[in-house]
Amino acid sequence: MPAADLLVIGGGITGTAAAIRAAEAGARVRLIDAGVNAGSDANAGSLHVQLQSRFIRLFPEQAPNVEASLPLYLAAVREWERLEALWGPFDLVRKGGLMLAEGEEQLRFLEGKARREAARGLAVELLDRAALDRLAPWLGPQIVGAELCRDEGKLDPLAANARLKARAAALGVERVAGRVVALTAAAEAATADGARHRADRAVVAAAWGTGALLAAFGLAVPTRAEPLHMNITEPAGPAIGHLVQHAERSITLKQFGTGQIVIGGGWPAEARGPGRVPGVRAASLLGNVALAARLVPAIGGLRVIRTWAGMNTTADGKTILGPVPGAPAVTVAVPGDAGYTLGPLVGRIAAEVALGLPATEDPAPYGLARFSA
Amino acid sequence: MAAECRFTFDGAPVAAAPGQSLAAALTAAGIRAFRTTATGAGRGVFCGMGVCQDCLVTVDGVPNRRACMTPAAAGMAVATQVAFPALDPAAAATAAPPARRIAPDVLVIGGGAAGLAAAAEAARAGAEVVLLDERRLAGGQYYKQPAGEAPALDAQQAAGAALVAEARAAGAELVGEAAIWGAFDGPLFLGEIGGAALVAAPRTAIVATGAYERPALVPGWTLPGVMTTGAAQTLWRSYRTLPGRRVAVAGSGPLNVQVALELARGGAEVALVAEAGPNPLLHPVPAARLLAAGPRLALQGVAMLAALARRGVALRHRSRLVAVEPAGGGLRAIVDGPGGRRAVVVDAVLMNEGFEPQNEILRLLGAAMDHDPAVGHLRCRRSERMETSVPGLYAAGDCAGLGGAPAAVAEGRIAGRAAAAAAGHGDTHDLYAFERARGRARRFQRALWALHDIRPRPAAVLDPAATLCRCEEVTVGAARAAMAAMQPGHAGSLKRLTRVGMGRCQGRYCGPVAARLVSEASGRPLDALSQFAPRVPVKPVTVGAILAAEQAMAAGDAGG
Ligand SMILES: Cc1cc2nc3c(=O)[nH]c(=O)nc-3n(C[C@H](O)[C@H](O)[C@H](O)COP(=O)(O)OP(=O)(O)OC[C@H]3O[C@@H](n4cnc5c(N)ncnc54)[C@H](O)[C@@H]3O)c2cc1C
Ligand SMILES: Cc1cc2nc3c(=O)[nH]c(=O)nc-3n(C[C@H](O)[C@H](O)[C@H](O)COP(=O)(O)OP(=O)(O)OC[C@H]3O[C@@H](n4cnc5c(N)ncnc54)[C@H](O)[C@@H]3O)c2cc1C
Ligand code: FES
Repeated sequence: MPAADLLVIGGGITGTAAAIRAAEAGARVRLIDAGVNAGSDANAGSLHVQLQSRFIRLFPEQAPNVEASLPLYLAAVREWERLEALWGPFDLVRKGGLMLAEGEEQLRFLEGKARREAARGLAVELLDRAALDRLAPWLGPQIVGAELCRDEGKLDPLAANARLKARAAALGVERVAGRVVALTAAAEAATADGARHRADRAVVAAAWGTGALLAAFGLAVPTRAEPLHMNITEPAGPAIGHLVQHAERSITLKQFGTGQIVIGGGWPAEARGPGRVPGVRAASLLGNVALAARLVPAIGGLRVIRTWAGMNTTADGKTILGPVPGAPAVTVAVPGDAGYTLGPLVGRIAAEVALGLPATEDPAPYGLARFSA
Repeated sequence: MAAECRFTFDGAPVAAAPGQSLAAALTAAGIRAFRTTATGAGRGVFCGMGVCQDCLVTVDGVPNRRACMTPAAAGMAVATQVAFPALDPAAAATAAPPARRIAPDVLVIGGGAAGLAAAAEAARAGAEVVLLDERRLAGGQYYKQPAGEAPALDAQQAAGAALVAEARAAGAELVGEAAIWGAFDGPLFLGEIGGAALVAAPRTAIVATGAYERPALVPGWTLPGVMTTGAAQTLWRSYRTLPGRRVAVAGSGPLNVQVALELARGGAEVALVAEAGPNPLLHPVPAARLLAAGPRLALQGVAMLAALARRGVALRHRSRLVAVEPAGGGLRAIVDGPGGRRAVVVDAVLMNEGFEPQNEILRLLGAAMDHDPAVGHLRCRRSERMETSVPGLYAAGDCAGLGGAPAAVAEGRIAGRAAAAAAGHGDTHDLYAFERARGRARRFQRALWALHDIRPRPAAVLDPAATLCRCEEVTVGAARAAMAAMQPGHAGSLKRLTRVGMGRCQGRYCGPVAARLVSEASGRPLDALSQFAPRVPVKPVTVGAILAAEQAMAAGDAGG
């Protein structure tokens, strides 16, 4: 195969953003994607900024890492707004996110969380029931209050993916189907079908596939595939402007521009082995939708028209971004928790690091030295 | 005799016969547009069998009820379904009725020819059998039963009534208005019975969900008044309602001829029947083969053709519908054939270009399938006992691939015996008679379809102006443009690019065509995995019903 300037491994939102940035800078870009289980194809389009309670509960040891990344989330939402202005519409709406409390204890948890977030520069405030009634009259009667984070929002990931992929294609990014099985420090990649791809530099944006590719460099990067569940209803009139979450339980709920209500928030799906799309679990479907119905009773008469399962990627809670120690031709870009929110920013910075262009954000806090043996 | 009842539609009074569906009553009243889409287009009855989701209406304030599946009742306030109904804060106040949990030896899903036969055999063998059907009345598409107290229309309905009686007498429990919407490993089935949640964990399961009709994707196929031939047949056979005073029929296969004749006998004027296949009289060899394979059925077919001719109905061979346009209060059907292009103005256009199996439940559970290019759809891989590749899961009838009603009965009887035996009741000896009947029926089907043309047309010939996805209102041209720009390698990628297949019908109509579009462009032949991946729910299900199922599961878990 002829050489390219930059090889991008992984064609989700992160790899696509990296490819766009590099091609805009004049680089010849080849993007290799395995074509399976991209979280970007399955995700719910929530633009997360505040700390997700699910994360604090499930991976408490990672919470400090997530908290350290909070300023990056703010910058990431701005990156989405920049892209929407250039290549949208993606149906991006930034009315803020509500994290609901069903009792005093949950309200106190949110107060503590809000203090930590405000210290990191987030626009957060606590609302009592009367204030909520003005903003969100459709909430169940058991909700006593909520934390509002004005920076949060939502977008239509299908529209965003389609438009950004079209932008990459228009810039001449060459998209190759294949699974990379080996990568060298000289940015040479071998795919499962036996082909070899040479380039000056490489960006690894392979989400759950990243750890395996970096083992050769003596790095133990703990990327794990996490199958997650989603639900969507038929359309209703516009009513729910906010992204809705819960102080203790796993849920995200919002209304798309199509009028459909999207319900997710990290309920588990059934892994079916590598390379296969995960399956839907009855318990997740029932539990996730029932919880939504309790929090927002007004959706009770709508019908769920589809559920699906997709592959999220978790690592150590913090974005992984920067050159491989000892192999400067290889740059890694794994956005971390709420990776669709972070993907465009992290992908862009990775391309800038790889090509030696000035980056708007300092990637140093997210570097890979923490994974060296 | 129950008396006629009255309800209102958008405030105006409408009369309904006892048991009549809302769709039939509205059609009889000359009302064809039931809902408006996001772009403001009108839609009405299309499939007549609960699949297309285009007949939605608001009933007593509850949005998105299928008019074809909802019986009319006195005093109902029915309204045009708007595209974006307001969220209803009172929705949760109505407590869901208690859920039903069942764990029979044999669960039969679908009460058509195959399901009824399966239930009868399994129950006779001593198994505890529950048969569920989404429709109020058992019988399925071939044995469609009359609503209310109407007597059987003909021998076909009488035979259906006898099969229903046989299954009941054998001890099977037949449950109507019970739809399965979810299938999970186990197997575990989730459904709805008349508004209540249903949780079924059977020892063995027989899927007998039948088929739905393949439409002609021409410009105008979404207009109110354009419907499948089977939808018109249901209006007439179940509800004694004509789809219109003057109708045109197009597509291929004996169903079109049969329904044209039934409607003509019922008083409709049949302006035209367009058949894509050749005239059998000009093709004596395949015609003779058909006669040899099934003399009785073949002669019935000849008699139908003769009866149509006697009524002066024009049956045009090698002719195809190319477009439907609004014309005054009616529809103009435009047909191409050997004599050139011709147009007829009618009240209703009926179409059937073959069948697609309702195999969603089988695919969800991972049953292996093969693509059959002769009919252009998937066939479920089965043992001679009708067991799928998933142990304990059986498939019978048209859901496993087109086979027709007699084969469905034979397969149902075999599956019923086999499933009962697997659950510890009876045995699978002496199934030869059923196997012979199945073989005969299959030979007849092969000869029958050789005289018609139900291989799906290449996607390349479709008119770019035709709607590809009814639900999301995506045209063939828009899909082609996305394909040219992005070269999706799978129908699923085309879906994410264009939203085809993302609507309420779950891609049942556009899915097979999207798979063909991608296959033709990429050169990759169609196989069992070319179509959109199956997803739960197989039919839309209310959030409230899911909440009720969750409560039932939680209570069950607590109890045991
Ligand atoms: C159901 C679900 C809902 C979600 N909802 C949200 C949300 O609302 N908001 C949010 O911010 N985040 C959400 N996420 C997380 C988010 O989707 C992901 O973090 C994000 O999409 C990751 O983007 P990515 O480009 O880094 O990786 P991905 O989109 O996962 O893409 C990685 C690509 O790399 C390919 N690949 C892997 N290994 C190799 C290899 N060796 N060679 C070649 N290619 C390879 C894969 O096939 C894949 O196509 C959700 C995730 C899931 C599963
Ligand atoms: C609209 C239509 C009209 C037809 N008319 C004729 C005809 O006149 N003559 C002829 O020879 N052939 C006709 N056919 C072909 C016919 O399908 C078969 O010959 C025969 O009915 C097959 O029997 P079956 O038992 O496999 O399926 P069917 O008779 O179709 O029975 C399947 C049953 O399963 C039920 N069902 C499906 N999904 C679910 C679910 N998720 N939950 C609960 N219940 C479910 C349906 O309500 C239906 O009653 C018609 C087909 C269709 C689609
Ligand atoms: S006509 Fe009622 S669902 Fe198709």
